[in-house]
Amino acid sequence: MTLNLTPEVITDFTLTIIGIVFTIITYIKPKTKKLTSLNYIRLAIFTFSVFIFFDGLSILYVSKFLGVITGFILIPLTLSLVIGVRYSTSESFYSYGFIVVVGLSVLFLYLGFQPNAVIIQIQEGNIWLLWSGLFSSIGMILTTITAVYMFYWGIKTLKNAPFLIKKEAYLFFLGIFFGSVVALVFYVLYLIEPFYILGSNISLLIGLIIITISVMIEPKLLYILPFTVYRIVVKDREGYPLFDHDWSKSEISENLFTGFINAIQLMSEEIMNIGGLLDIQLKDGILILHESENITVGLITSKSSKLLSSSVTNFTRDFENKFEKILKEGNKDMVEYESAHELIEKHFSNFPSRIITNKRKPLLLTEKLLKLPLALDNALKTIFKDEKEYNFIKSEIYRTPESTAAGFISLYKELKKEFEEKDKFEQS
Amino acid sequence: MSNLNLALSLTLNHPSVQSVIEIAKEVISNNNVLNTELLYNLAKRRLKFPRKGLLSIIQLLINKKVLVEGSKYTKDEVLNNKYRFNLYRFLTSHLGAHFSTIRKQIITDSSGTLGSSGQLIWHLEMLIRFNYIKKIKIKNYTVFLPYEIDDEIGVLHFVLRHEIYLKIIQLLINNEELKRSEVHKFVDEKRETIYYRINNLIEFNIIELSGDNNSLILNSNKKNDIISIINANLQNKSQIKKFNFNSKEVKN
Repeated sequence: MTLNLTPEVITDFTLTIIGIVFTIITYIKPKTKKLTSLNYIRLAIFTFSVFIFFDGLSILYVSKFLGVITGFILIPLTLSLVIGVRYSTSESFYSYGFIVVVGLSVLFLYLGFQPNAVIIQIQEGNIWLLWSGLFSSIGMILTTITAVYMFYWGIKTLKNAPFLIKKEAYLFFLGIFFGSVVALVFYVLYLIEPFYILGSNISLLIGLIIITISVMIEPKLLYILPFTVYRIVVKDREGYPLFDHDWSKSEISENLFTGFINAIQLMSEEIMNIGGLLDIQLKDGILILHESENITVGLITSKSSKLLSSSVTNFTRDFENKFEKILKEGNKDMVEYESAHELIEKHFSNFPSRIITNKRKPLLLTEKLLKLPLALDNALKTIFKDEKEYNFIKSEIYRTPESTAAGFISLYKELKKEFEEKDKFEQS
Repeated sequence: MSNLNLALSLTLNHPSVQSVIEIAKEVISNNNVLNTELLYNLAKRRLKFPRKGLLSIIQLLINKKVLVEGSKYTKDEVLNNKYRFNLYRFLTSHLGAHFSTIRKQIITDSSGTLGSSGQLIWHLEMLIRFNYIKKIKIKNYTVFLPYEIDDEIGVLHFVLRHEIYLKIIQLLINNEELKRSEVHKFVDEKRETIYYRINNLIEFNIIELSGDNNSLILNSNKKNDIISIINANLQNKSQIKKFNFNSKEVKN
């Protein structure tokens, strides 16, 4: 039997290998593996590898049967991608896209069993295996839906990517662009001239390689979900803060946040049992609270989510285990709990930090780390005995025009004389 | 550094973190505007840390509030400080208030959270620096006025806040002309005190000598201003309530 080893077959098999590698990377790289949306997207990538493998196989053996099977594999591929993208944006399976794909899939299956769903065409000495008629049209629509969802996923990822991983997000988007838009353009041209399928395959290949590299560099790209995680705070049962971590700035005020946790702690026995989880809807977000034997953990996020709730529960459990000894001793020194960052990495690694909002936003050093000229520093220390006050003035000095501090010292000397005389006069 | 698992091992005391802090300090000491981009580029060039590691350090510094968002003050931002805003409000509603009055008002504020005289003077200096207020010296007093108020009007306000001055001026409004030697009888104060005040008022160009230099008259150019200030003060007095420096109202 002569094999029909065409360039399309070679690109198909290369794509299969890259697709399998990408599937493996999406499993190995991220720390949190049991994420539903990622499971579906991973399934879509795997199905794509199978789809393209069967496509290559059908051309290699010039088999109409394998051609139809290839078409059928397009159904799970489209469905898993549609579900995966939808789930990553709203934690729900259902969408208009899902209904359309299911409807079309039934028709597609029926058409696949009709004669001449796949035809063989010989053009300039090359053998082409083509879907035909309505089977081809539906296949084309399903392919387009796949490309559109893929592009949407890329856009959503780029848009939500925080500053820290923006560079990788652009690379990822470039891959998505090649794999969806460019590949689709060639796919449309393929309907006119079968040769263009090579262009489509090569675009897919380039796209998939770029996507794979970007995900290898930054696995968080797969976890850019539409909700924002703002902050987590751990308090002991007496209300003392033990640990806090910020992912991004929240509109919820510190007082409101602390107040809620304290109130809940006071009423905990009535509202929730130890080990219980509570979602409190605030104006600007959701406060997820979890009580355990020694601590209360509060997480502020923009939306409630099953994933977040389970992350909070697991974080609380591990925090209790890791610091069991010092928690029982009643240790309230936050420094002792600093290593809880490991647990943040473990349970919340999939949520990228958005703490740096803009790379050009002006920054200032905390007053404690600022150093003033010695003479000025000594003068300030003489005036401000209270450390808090001294630090406040120091932080202000760094935000004022250069001679303000000198102006202040001279005004102070001038007014000091005035109020000392006045005080003396009043005393006498 | 390349093998450093930053997320797990970084603390503020880590030498790599300290090196980045040093660079940030240097930028600020040189009076440059510090931002993530500048800090990143400088640290990258000097310390040769990998991109991800360096970004993690900057992120840690922001997370631990070692680096905070903020820039040099602009005129608008100066009044975002609650204390400063209320101090400015006080000075605009108590024209002619001198330092001791302001200090007294603050020190007797019921909250007890307003800090030292040093802090008050700092805020006054800030208001002066950004042209919200100015200071004028009247005899031994330092008076703080809103920047747009004319110095002479400021002096009038200062004088009219003082009971003895006010009594002398009210006498001159009602009597047109009075003998210097008779004023103390109407005011019910020691002759020396009254003489001292009268001399001051002459020095401030609020009253003038007439005729044989023993009679006093109100400076006709200032009479209208004086009357309107007295009326305004009377009105304010009826509505006066204790000024709360800890009021939450802040300029938006």
